[in-house]
Amino acid sequence: MNRVHNTKFVLWLIAGFAAAVVLNRFIFGLGVTTNLNDRTPWGLWIGFDVMGGVALASGGFVITAIFYIMKREQFYPLVKPAVLTAFLGYLAVISGLLVDLGLPWNIWHMIIYWNPHSPLFEVGWCVMLYTSVLLLEFSPVPLEKFSRYAKVRNFLMKFRFVFVLLGIMLSTLHQSSLGTLFLIMPFKLYPLWYSNILPIQFFISAIALGLMVVALESLVSHWLYKRKPETNLVAKLCRIAAWVLTLYFVVKITDIIAEDKFSLIFNGAWQSNLFIIEVLISTIIPAVLFAVPKFYNNVKVQWTGSSLVIIGMVLNRIDVGGLVMLGVTGDSYTPAWTEIVISLGIVSIAALVFLFVIENFHVWETQPIEPESIPHKLPLFDYSSRTWLGTPDVSSVTTHSLAFVISFAVGMALMPGKHLHSKGIDNIKVSPASGIDTLYINGNRDNQFVKFPHQAHISRIGKDSCFTCHHLNMPGEKLSQCWECHTSMYTSVDFFKHNSHISNKNANLKCDDCHKSGENRSALTAKKCTSCHPTYNFFTYGKNTIQKYKILSYTDAMHNLCVSCHILESRKLKDKPNLALCSTCHKTQLPDYLSAAVSWKIKVPHFNSVILPGVDLKKKIIKSVLKSQ
Amino acid sequence: MRKAILTDITKCIGCLKCVSACKEVHSLKEDEPRIWQKNDGLSADNWTSIIQKPDSHYIRKQCRHCIEPACASVCPVGALHKTEIGAVVYDSSKCLGCRYCMMACPFGIPRYEWDKTVPHVEKCILCYDRIKKGELPACTNACPTGATIFGDRSELLKIAHKRIKENPGKYINKVWGEHEVGGTSVLYLSDIDLGFLSYPVNLETKPLPEKTAKAMESVPFAFVSMGGVMLGLNWIIRRRMELSKEQSKKKESEDE
Repeated sequence: MNRVHNTKFVLWLIAGFAAAVVLNRFIFGLGVTTNLNDRTPWGLWIGFDVMGGVALASGGFVITAIFYIMKREQFYPLVKPAVLTAFLGYLAVISGLLVDLGLPWNIWHMIIYWNPHSPLFEVGWCVMLYTSVLLLEFSPVPLEKFSRYAKVRNFLMKFRFVFVLLGIMLSTLHQSSLGTLFLIMPFKLYPLWYSNILPIQFFISAIALGLMVVALESLVSHWLYKRKPETNLVAKLCRIAAWVLTLYFVVKITDIIAEDKFSLIFNGAWQSNLFIIEVLISTIIPAVLFAVPKFYNNVKVQWTGSSLVIIGMVLNRIDVGGLVMLGVTGDSYTPAWTEIVISLGIVSIAALVFLFVIENFHVWETQPIEPESIPHKLPLFDYSSRTWLGTPDVSSVTTHSLAFVISFAVGMALMPGKHLHSKGIDNIKVSPASGIDTLYINGNRDNQFVKFPHQAHISRIGKDSCFTCHHLNMPGEKLSQCWECHTSMYTSVDFFKHNSHISNKNANLKCDDCHKSGENRSALTAKKCTSCHPTYNFFTYGKNTIQKYKILSYTDAMHNLCVSCHILESRKLKDKPNLALCSTCHKTQLPDYLSAAVSWKIKVPHFNSVILPGVDLKKKIIKSVLKSQ
Repeated sequence: MRKAILTDITKCIGCLKCVSACKEVHSLKEDEPRIWQKNDGLSADNWTSIIQKPDSHYIRKQCRHCIEPACASVCPVGALHKTEIGAVVYDSSKCLGCRYCMMACPFGIPRYEWDKTVPHVEKCILCYDRIKKGELPACTNACPTGATIFGDRSELLKIAHKRIKENPGKYINKVWGEHEVGGTSVLYLSDIDLGFLSYPVNLETKPLPEKTAKAMESVPFAFVSMGGVMLGLNWIIRRRMELSKEQSKKKESEDE
């Protein structure tokens, strides 16, 4: 098989996968498809897709400046691919932004509602304008194929210098303004990155990055299509980049020293170590590599160096765009796999479009593409089986669409169903309380315990009060525990178990026993529970009467009983005026024997039966043992 | 007249009446447990919350309605804006969901409706509609102990300083919100340090929007000067090339 064909296959796979995830993101919203939250509202999409993307697309303005403004004619072969990369890069940024924005259909609001104080407003406008300028800059290439647009093409060619100049001016603005975005959060950005000249640092690093993107793009596409690499041109780019990187390093270090932050670099914090790694990868190592003639003329070093700069500078954008803020906000954000897939998908679609344009239009100057390198231009005939595999174009298209469709399907299937249908509350099962006389209640397992001393309550409010809480028992039990019926932490559950009533192992009832014959069979028309269970002591709280067969959630059940009584008692009692405060019951320290059990994850069943009268202790113990098995 | 809220931490008993009043007035739905609420309890459905600290300290957290709000200055479409009363209000019809306001707020106030397909930013709006009608904000109206009161900012500041003077030793000698980030419309009196209400424990007194303003002012200058530099460079290089061409021509003619 073929390099180009295989690469495209992989790209189509990723694209299909991402398309499924994008669909889900727009149907179900940001909450279930990302790990973003109120403390980390900007994540991978802003850090990589937008911040990194804009920086990566800076090759266009750098190369046009070198070629059109500084008249370095030898760079001509790199200009068209660079402008194409920039154009596609900006389209990728915009699509990444559309996925990230909460209300992407309102993106045009920037045109009519102005807030010139906002750096984002400026970035938005510049990106919009520059993308249009790039379209005008690049469109002569595809228009070349259609002779009827010759006039339009000539017109565009005439104003090419103006477009280039405008493009450079606009790029200067928004490349630096991406840094301005973060000037307003000195409190969030780690001091090593925060700087009043952040915009200038961003601009200089964008130039270096742009040079390296053009270099790597030339290396990759020549490797893909098995063409002779443009080693000399790339070497020149590397040499310029070495100067720019040195400038960047000097500016950065001078600023850090001037602001008296130098000691921070080696203080061992994870942010500081990240900073060291980032500067090493993005600046120091490549600058040193590209300073030596033996190295910058070597293709392998060109590959490593340019990749290092790209990885390092994108890391820089991700750091500034949110990664190092995690230390301040105290949040632990890791991008969800969906976020990563969408980011990769946007990149692969841009790459596919790039390959398509390169294959079909006059982008490269020096050599034509060798026909052997494009699989779908070759006849497809399997010699071993002597079969015709279909017309060449069709067969290639088929494999690639198959890749897309299959990965789309896999993507749809992988979206976790629980997430998709979640409305925010998970039905958390209540964990039983532990303790002997004093209960330590930890229903939702967050280890914030609530203390309930049985004996103290009995001595204060008497033995009759037992039945205030133990108001209802499971069949065959005398004092059932709260969590046996109130099984769900936050949601109410059905009280009535229809199955147990009709099953011949339990009640073995006929339909007519509860539902009158001829009537619509529903919960509302059925016989009242008390007519068969006269001893049942039902609570009726608001709408949740037993007629609706609902059991209150554990939290509601507990709060309704405890709080209402505590408020009444706190008014009566003079020695305990704080009885109604939340802190009276919440955030209780565990006794030693229980905290050990909790840390070892041992369940300690609560034997309230030991001190409470009238309960078959044996039965309880057997039951709890059975449960633990 | 600039309105404000003064919250006296020592008077708060943590009854949560302000929270439920806020929910009722703005018809916010019941809250759902979330990871990050372990910290302050604010969410898209909780515009104000009570943070419980040891020794029965209850601190009500809400939007501070900064006098020069960072959120309003960074919003690219001006969906957030400061009203003449002092409330920072949100216009959901303009918003495009970039969440820059959430990034820029030093108190971490704006929250997002993450669960919705059409999400908006949610935060306290100082009951702007009620104030215009001449009513009290729902929270201050509901407070049973007078821990949180509403009034003109200057008068509330006077009250706060008076309380500090009259009860020596009861309060920390500072009104939170008087000077931070250029002053806020929600003020706190407290006997414990309230640094945890904002991301940095000690906020600067300079308004945050000033930080970007400098860079933003230089934008037109950078735009024009970059164009000028590029044109100048281009002219010099072209001129040089012409000169060298002429010279080589001259040389050729001399050689002939």
